[in-house]
Amino acid sequence: MKLTFTGKNVLIPGGSCEMGICLAEFLINENLFPMLTYRNEKGRNAILKELSSFKGKFEALPLDLGDPDSIDTLFKKIDSPDFLVDFAQSHYENFVASASRDDVYTYFEENVSSRAEIIKRVARVMLEMKRGRLVFISSAAAQVSNPGQGFYAASKCASEALYKNAGLEMGRRGITSVILRPGYADSGRGRAFLQANKENDVLTKVPIRRTLTVTEIAEAILFFLSDSASGFNAAVIPLDGGLTACKD
Amino acid sequence: MDVFIEIQESLANILDMDKQDIAPESYLVRELDVESIDLLELAVVLNSKFGIEIIDDEIFLRELRIYLMDADENESDTENYLQEKYPFLAKERINEILKSYNDGPVLKVKDLVSYVEWRK
Repeated sequence: MKLTFTGKNVLIPGGSCEMGICLAEFLINENLFPMLTYRNEKGRNAILKELSSFKGKFEALPLDLGDPDSIDTLFKKIDSPDFLVDFAQSHYENFVASASRDDVYTYFEENVSSRAEIIKRVARVMLEMKRGRLVFISSAAAQVSNPGQGFYAASKCASEALYKNAGLEMGRRGITSVILRPGYADSGRGRAFLQANKENDVLTKVPIRRTLTVTEIAEAILFFLSDSASGFNAAVIPLDGGLTACKD
Repeated sequence: MDVFIEIQESLANILDMDKQDIAPESYLVRELDVESIDLLELAVVLNSKFGIEIIDDEIFLRELRIYLMDADENESDTENYLQEKYPFLAKERINEILKSYNDGPVLKVKDLVSYVEWRK
């Protein structure tokens, strides 16, 4: 099966992560144009280093979820996105009963309110073209989470609802959404978590007894961006080796 | 650029209907069967056509009933209160709205024209 795509520009908030960069390579190979965002110098450098052999075939742009002006600036700079793949997420782990009020307010502003603003902007551009695909990278934690992940899970659940609704509100106008819930992946926060929890044998909870690779997650995303997947809309899809389907 | 003609054309396009069935006095929801997704698309098109910022809640008079309740609760002069909230609507139009809001959604094509002209 050869994948085909309707559109060219792919906006990737949080694209400086390993999965984002891996996806960008796949997109470039399909003649699509990834526009990856980064939050800081480290993110920017990661993008430029890993994609150094693809000069001119992608763009790296700053985006600070905590700053509404940053969102404004981003949308002034980019060409109309045909696709959105949203990895953006800031980090906060704490027991619900321990968290500081300011930290909580900031966290939800960055990871829910700002996300709503980004979806709105992208959707309105897509409405003019009467087509578009939104892919949200959520997490298995949206269904079952670990202690300390309450805010992470809450922000993912809230964001899922926004993406789901975007797809059902605008499906008639050709704009659809898919939500992926990756489980334990061998990258970024996932890798850090697994290394910190080696003794707990976390993988015994995963029916396929392994972590997901960055490549297979990027390939799944690529499929969901393709014309072959256009029947999926407002859909939440676990990509977790069976983790959340399993009781123990 | 005649604002009404541009809006009429945009609406005809979005609703897939004849231009002549869209008049300044046409009610969008009551008569033209406009739905929320149509209004959203219209807001995007108007923003693009006229290069102005469209605030959906303002142009589509979405919060009218809330404002009516607020005016009632605070015992304010409803006409003046609405005039404040909708500076783009003429006094006569506000009075028209106050007489007809119980019959259904009040939004008319001419309100969109007023908004765009005010924003320009």
